[in-house]
Amino acid sequence: MSKSYRDGLPISPEKFVDQLMRLKRGSISRRDFLGLTGLGVATAVMARELGMMPTPAFAAENLGDRMSIATWPNYHDPQTFENFKAETGVAVEVNVFGSNEEMLAKLQAGGSGWSLFVPTNYTISTYKKLGIIEALDMAKLPNFDGSQEDARFTAEGTIDGTIYAVPKNWGTTGFAVNTKKLTKPMSSWKEFWDTAMAEGDGRTMVHDYQLTTIGNALKYYGYSFNSLKQDELAKAEELLLKVKPHLFAVSSDYQPSMRSGDAWMTMCWTNDGAQLNRDIPEIAYVLGKEGGEIWTDFYAIPKDAPNKPAGYALLNYLMNPKVAVKEHLANGAPSTDARVNALLPKEVLDNPILYPAADLLKPLEFGAAATLTDPGRAELMARFKAA
Amino acid sequence: MTAVPDIEFRAVTKRYGAVTAVSGIDLAIPPSAFVALLGPSGCGKTTCLRMIGGFEQPSEGQVLIRGRDMAGTPPYRRPVNMVFQQYALFPHLDVEENISYGLRQARPRLSSREISLKAGEALAMVQLAGYGRRKIHELSGGQQQRVALARALVNKPAVLLLDEPLAALDKKLRTDMQIELQNLQREIGITFVLVTHDQEEALSMSDFVCVMNGGRVVQLGQPSEVYDEPADLFVADFVGKTNLLSGKVAGLSGELVDVALADGTVISARKRAPLSRGEAVSISLRPESLSLSVPGGGSLKGIVRNRIFLGSTAEYAIEVQGIGSLLARADHGIGRGSLFKPGEPVAIGFAAGAPLAFPQTKNNGTNQREDQHVEILS
Amino acid sequence: MPAGAETAFSMRGSLFRKNLLTALLLAPAALWLVVFLVLPFVAIAIFSVGERAPEGGYQAALTFAQYANLPARATAFWNTMVLAPVGAFACLIVAYPVAYYLALRAPQRWRLILLALIVIPFWTSLLMRTYAWMYILGGRGIPALLAYVGIEDLRLINTPGAVLLGIVYGYLPLMILPIYVSLERLDRRLLEASADLGATPLSTFIGVTLRLSLPGVMTGFSLVMILLLGEYLIPTLLGGGKVFFIGNALVDLFLQSRNWPFGSAIAITLVLVSVVVLIVANRISTRLSGARRVDLI
Repeated sequence: MSKSYRDGLPISPEKFVDQLMRLKRGSISRRDFLGLTGLGVATAVMARELGMMPTPAFAAENLGDRMSIATWPNYHDPQTFENFKAETGVAVEVNVFGSNEEMLAKLQAGGSGWSLFVPTNYTISTYKKLGIIEALDMAKLPNFDGSQEDARFTAEGTIDGTIYAVPKNWGTTGFAVNTKKLTKPMSSWKEFWDTAMAEGDGRTMVHDYQLTTIGNALKYYGYSFNSLKQDELAKAEELLLKVKPHLFAVSSDYQPSMRSGDAWMTMCWTNDGAQLNRDIPEIAYVLGKEGGEIWTDFYAIPKDAPNKPAGYALLNYLMNPKVAVKEHLANGAPSTDARVNALLPKEVLDNPILYPAADLLKPLEFGAAATLTDPGRAELMARFKAA
Repeated sequence: MTAVPDIEFRAVTKRYGAVTAVSGIDLAIPPSAFVALLGPSGCGKTTCLRMIGGFEQPSEGQVLIRGRDMAGTPPYRRPVNMVFQQYALFPHLDVEENISYGLRQARPRLSSREISLKAGEALAMVQLAGYGRRKIHELSGGQQQRVALARALVNKPAVLLLDEPLAALDKKLRTDMQIELQNLQREIGITFVLVTHDQEEALSMSDFVCVMNGGRVVQLGQPSEVYDEPADLFVADFVGKTNLLSGKVAGLSGELVDVALADGTVISARKRAPLSRGEAVSISLRPESLSLSVPGGGSLKGIVRNRIFLGSTAEYAIEVQGIGSLLARADHGIGRGSLFKPGEPVAIGFAAGAPLAFPQTKNNGTNQREDQHVEILS
Repeated sequence: MPAGAETAFSMRGSLFRKNLLTALLLAPAALWLVVFLVLPFVAIAIFSVGERAPEGGYQAALTFAQYANLPARATAFWNTMVLAPVGAFACLIVAYPVAYYLALRAPQRWRLILLALIVIPFWTSLLMRTYAWMYILGGRGIPALLAYVGIEDLRLINTPGAVLLGIVYGYLPLMILPIYVSLERLDRRLLEASADLGATPLSTFIGVTLRLSLPGVMTGFSLVMILLLGEYLIPTLLGGGKVFFIGNALVDLFLQSRNWPFGSAIAITLVLVSVVVLIVANRISTRLSGARRVDLI
């Protein structure tokens, strides 16, 4: 046996440092620690090289030399921005955020400096109501083809016939299970919650996010993910309070704990599920058969964008299927655009985590704006966390 | 005398790294004495005191208190108490709490009635009755001094150690405290060991003076002995004022030696160490042993350069050709003529036996001394 | 008397000039305080009597409903009131011996180096250092090493012990430094005097060293305690966010449910609690040590 002590280490020193650096860049998971630190400004200026080669298409308008985008951690292929800079001369500053609410707060306060950002479906109506996002000038987005989009995912970007946001990708909210530790096959939210109090005791994580945590607790009883009904919420609260002592953590930063083996089961978003499963095959991604959440992330342009021409230019660039396909391969979330799906490799399209079977998708609900902003649910979440 | 000495040093050496602070001291301090450790700074006197207190451990040799070897005995188990330089009173405690601090450490415990009774007595002893609830920072220097004394004495130590206790006081207060300390020592009857660099203080207060220099004990004796019969040139110079004259041994006869001074004058002096013909010597002449008269008599001639009138006495600085300036102190007795004025020529005489001759050394005569057991016979 | 009047006048004049100079010298600091302390505080105070807008945020109103609603976060207040003193105390227990060693035992020439070693980690963000602990305590850290020697499935992360460890680690320098300063100033002869008076090392420590370092202890304690009153990061990262503190409540109210008025009311209450803690700490330290003030380093 020529086993070095290092073989026994769970993680090599190099990898540890690498992980730390990833954390520092904020690229571990969406709505993760950056959100909970309130430091949603871990910015990185991509593409520092000077490559002033504006393409003829953009030459007509002065795009300036820089713009900034607000998005989620680990959500883009960095090469995309490098390429954009090479083509247009515009350097893209990337601001990553932990939650939609933070983005909203920053945008509402004004002076965010973003020329493009990535809100989730249920926030768009609020942005529109507050009058802080632009009705998109579709003439500037020739690469977008509405006819190729799955209407199911685009609906919330359009309000009263006006397009305010165009979709980036969609996804689901299910749960990830370490099947080596929890061997019993699971397929429902009922099993998720019951297991959390039994075999998964002390090893289960739920999101630090009322929308999904309460929504998925409602699913235990088969109620709507978006329920605002007092009696239904009371039942969900009862369940949550019962489960609380058995939990490993209330946190949306579940990838590290799942990877290290500290946690065996967690509520999970599609792209995280895909990443976990890709790296650790025994971690399965499950959609509750009762339903749950389906979501779409959009691109939108703030009304006070300092560099609207560049915002439009980048958005149009991202709508190019050849560009978008790389984005999807990078972040692992499924595309809404048929043209992109046509370009994706077969094994991606066949991945049931990314493209679940139709019968599993059917009961899923989009989160509603009212669900997110409901003070009653916020208080319920506070009581759950305080319990 | 067979009484066990209160404090005994046996071949005690203390080194700090390469520096030897105390080297090979033998010393015995008998019971109920007021002893001063006198010497210039760096002579090792404070180190000796701290070795008695237990704050320093000897590198070699033994320190005994009342016959018991103190090696390995921490300060809090030693039957001695110390009055620290600048007193080291506890700023967070009031006067009475400071004084009763030691009593509270006693095992078996004393009752609080007993403690407050004893503390009250100690306060009265140092004339601070009624000051018990004062804060330390509200007291004057002299009052703090008394509190420090009471704090140490209340524990009824075998020996009281005093580390330059009067250094921080002004002159008037210092004189008062000197008397008070002497009285206290007589009243209580325990041994006081005082460290001081002030020879006047040492001479005036103590029963015995232990003169130290360069980490050694140079002389131990009663104040008058140390003053009149200094063991060496260093003691002669350090204790009291003296005139030092250089010369060569011109002749020897028993205890006396003839010394030829630089100007050729020959003076007869008592020798304080073995001398040989032709050896360079220093002669010590106390200012008060000089007598001044109108020119005509005397051994030396000089001119008055300066005069300080002190009431009962007057001090003169007299320039002697070829020898230098001499200090003379003359009584201003009733019936004696007028004082000499600056510029006047005078003849200088001295009593036979007053001049003392010492071998000249480079280091003030400190290194020639053999390590010897110094014991006081009382 | 013309002469007297003139003197009085010129005295008044010079007094005025002196006051003007003082005012001018103080102006930058005062401006700083007003802009960065008073104004935000006033803004928060105004928010706290407002209402939550339907979409979240703030909507002008004059109501004390937010304050009346404080009991809704009673658990958070209670948890914080337990965490802050317990955390500060744990910090103290670890910090005191370190400060004691540094101030009274460490060789002089090592002292600065050792102090620097304590302070240097503070130059990295607390977040990074806490994340490092997440990895050390997590399944791939110490438990994996223990598994290597046969101790299996030990969970260290997301336990109260991990939170305590993180807090002690994170706030240690803030506790060590003021204690070190007060111990360093301690007159060593007082320790000798105590020993001389028959006190054992333990009684000397309790009766003199500890008593006289109390201003430093109270400074460190109140400093750490006040910071812990707003702490949420360490319990979230190392405790799994299962215990809800005021800090968590504030983050949720401002960044998640965006109930700014309620968050503001809680923040105001927290500030008041902090002020009370400071006053009490100051009183205790003054009484116990005989010192007339608490030195903030």
